[in-house]
Amino acid sequence: MECKTAVSLMHDYLDDDLSKEQRLMLKAHLLSCPNCRMDFKELEQTDMMLYSLPHNIPSASYELTERIMNTIPQRKKQKVWVKWMKIHPAATAAAVFLIIMLFSAINIFNQDNQLVIHGNDLDEVVINGNTVIIPEGTTIAGDLTVENGKAEVFGDVQGNLTVIDGSVYKASTAHISGEVKSVDRALDWIWYKISNVFSEVVYR
Amino acid sequence: MDQIENRLTKLALNGDQQAFAEIVELYKDKIYHLGYRMLSNRHEAEDVVQETFLRVFKSLDRFDPNQKFSTWIYRIATNLCIDRLRKRKATYSLDADMNDQEGLDGYSLIPSDNRTPESELMISETKQIIYDAIESLPAKYKSVMILRYLQDLSLQEISDVLGMPVTTIKTRVHRGRDFLRKKLEPKL
Ligand SMILES: [Zn+2]
Repeated sequence: MECKTAVSLMHDYLDDDLSKEQRLMLKAHLLSCPNCRMDFKELEQTDMMLYSLPHNIPSASYELTERIMNTIPQRKKQKVWVKWMKIHPAATAAAVFLIIMLFSAINIFNQDNQLVIHGNDLDEVVINGNTVIIPEGTTIAGDLTVENGKAEVFGDVQGNLTVIDGSVYKASTAHISGEVKSVDRALDWIWYKISNVFSEVVYR
Repeated sequence: MDQIENRLTKLALNGDQQAFAEIVELYKDKIYHLGYRMLSNRHEAEDVVQETFLRVFKSLDRFDPNQKFSTWIYRIATNLCIDRLRKRKATYSLDADMNDQEGLDGYSLIPSDNRTPESELMISETKQIIYDAIESLPAKYKSVMILRYLQDLSLQEISDVLGMPVTTIKTRVHRGRDFLRKKLEPKL
């Protein structure tokens, strides 16, 4: 057997991928070839060293799960609706009627969908279209409120971050000392109105 | 294990955030470890974990339950890591000429990490040498070796994750192993 073939068999051996016959062939070659014997020993040790490495160190930071859960789009609210509609088909019909009635009211909200930012310290905030960016390395003193836009945080916010009718992206470098709150104004409002109407119906 | 994942996937698909949080708990450390070994940087590893789960969440409805969930999530994470390495390479290739270390690629130019002293202490010198050797592998060998030895995936699983034939994966493991052998030779 050529040494080149032997080396290839050595790797197959380490991958646990050799037939008995091939194994015997490899063994025969190793017995007769000191160079390959040396190579084999080294490969086997490399393999063992790699396997000996710890498998789950280091672990991710504790608040990572929380950060992930904050980034994913919130669908729960809509899903509650869907379940509710399935359980109460009649009420759903009534609600649809109500929604049509309320439609004009929502339009009032939507007409006013210009980006609005509130805060005491807006000097370092970057605005790009509908997106409000707090760049890495910058610090915003106090609270920040973003209406009708997307907030992308890479730096520090030393206060609460509230987003009304928009979304939040928090990078790993971000640090927000206060609360992060996302408010879907139109949806909350309709929900409030509808639950009010139905509680009235129930008590009549 | 896979049944749990399928159940969780279904729940998460129905908007159950708690179920999704459980998926995150099951996999975040594995993905973080993968990202950390691929990119040698904690921040980037965490970003990869975050991005991976965001993608998983967005494409939950396209997940084929006949597929292994772990294969799917590894595929997403590995691709994100490889993308990042590629982007780095593009950014740093200008400096590549200055890089006399190993001459493999520009990666070793990147400030390697901000490992904390405590974790540094726990890693013995030999292990550090092995990690450094893995870090100096070119991306295509690096991903295969990390999946093989640090994530304990079989050759078949790696082939599923990377979407490449098993024979290709085998060749890469062989070359990667040989490369590491040469690197570690003085220590053997
Ligand atoms: Zn030989």
